[in-house]
Amino acid sequence: MDEKEVMALLASLEEPAVLATIVSAKGSTPRKTGARMLIGRDGVIAGTVGGGCGEGEVITAAQDLFDGGPPTTVRVDLTDDFTSWSPAVCGGIMNVFIERANPDLFGDV
Amino acid sequence: MRLSAARVAARVLEALEKGERIYTAVVVDSADRSMIGRRWWLSGRRNRGTLGSPALDAAVAAAVPSLFPPRESRGALSRDFEYRDGERAVTARVYLELHGPPARMVIVGAGHIAIPLARLGSMLGMRVEVLDDRPEFASADRFPDADVVRVIDFRDPFAATALGPSDHVILVTRGHSFDYECLVRLLRMEAPPGYIGMIGSRRRVRATHEQLAREGFTTEDMGRVRAPVGLDLGGQTPAEIAVSVAAEIILFHAGGTGMPLVEKERVVERFFGGEGA
Repeated sequence: MDEKEVMALLASLEEPAVLATIVSAKGSTPRKTGARMLIGRDGVIAGTVGGGCGEGEVITAAQDLFDGGPPTTVRVDLTDDFTSWSPAVCGGIMNVFIERANPDLFGDV
Repeated sequence: MRLSAARVAARVLEALEKGERIYTAVVVDSADRSMIGRRWWLSGRRNRGTLGSPALDAAVAAAVPSLFPPRESRGALSRDFEYRDGERAVTARVYLELHGPPARMVIVGAGHIAIPLARLGSMLGMRVEVLDDRPEFASADRFPDADVVRVIDFRDPFAATALGPSDHVILVTRGHSFDYECLVRLLRMEAPPGYIGMIGSRRRVRATHEQLAREGFTTEDMGRVRAPVGLDLGGQTPAEIAVSVAAEIILFHAGGTGMPLVEKERVVERFFGGEGA
């Protein structure tokens, strides 16, 4: 799914969703600043902020927003296990901003 | 009511549909936590929403033209903005995006280099337009990747193509007098294309510049023309030349060095160097 398709889906969502956006990235990251992902209550709806490289952390943090947590920035550090052969070895750091994409569709507002 | 990400996305899609340029902003960090997630957009003179402080809105609006040069049609970045909140100077971190009409590649001359170049332009996400005065060359069949293929008259080659700073024009016509005519028109434009390239041997490029000088163009004008166009890859075939031009366009926007990464990074030498490192 390309950038414009994620944007179109974001504009037309009918279920509550959390939007994750890479707002800054340093070093080697799989996706660059501007990459977007939409997360629903049951998991990723569309887009990606890097797949294996740190995406799990973002998805976990997004659950907080469904429970009423405030918008926040998740700092994803991919430099930790630099010497391992895990797919998470990318070597960069990125800041991913997460927020409710469509607050009006969340029942608690 | 607060502007949501979903509402702003709908507005961005509308702007792209109309061919407008739109900037969006959202506060991602601030000492005043209630501002985080506030957003705003600006398109032409219209804007909607707020970042939570009129002073911050104004600071961001003033900065966007320099953060996103006119030659760029896409962009995404975060910046810290300082603004006044009553007596105090405060800082907020704002994430900004630019969405504009897709960049355009205008290829003048529908010969053998134009075919792979049109394909590469399309792969890079540009709208591709091919111009030639010969209908048998300027045909849609020959350029399945082009968005527009136009038969033109070299006396006024850009009559039907409104050009601006975000455009890339590549002159690959069959004769250097045609390239020259195009060049003179491009250099005289009030808002010329940001990227003007002309193919040619050193001798042909020199002859063109001599003629431009006789016409009264300055060395600064000439410096705006990338001639010979492309990076020095050593390739010879039309496809190889097209790759070298496409690579230069990427370099123009992305600002790399154009060096082989192995030479730039020198990983082996730096980390496993031993003698002489």
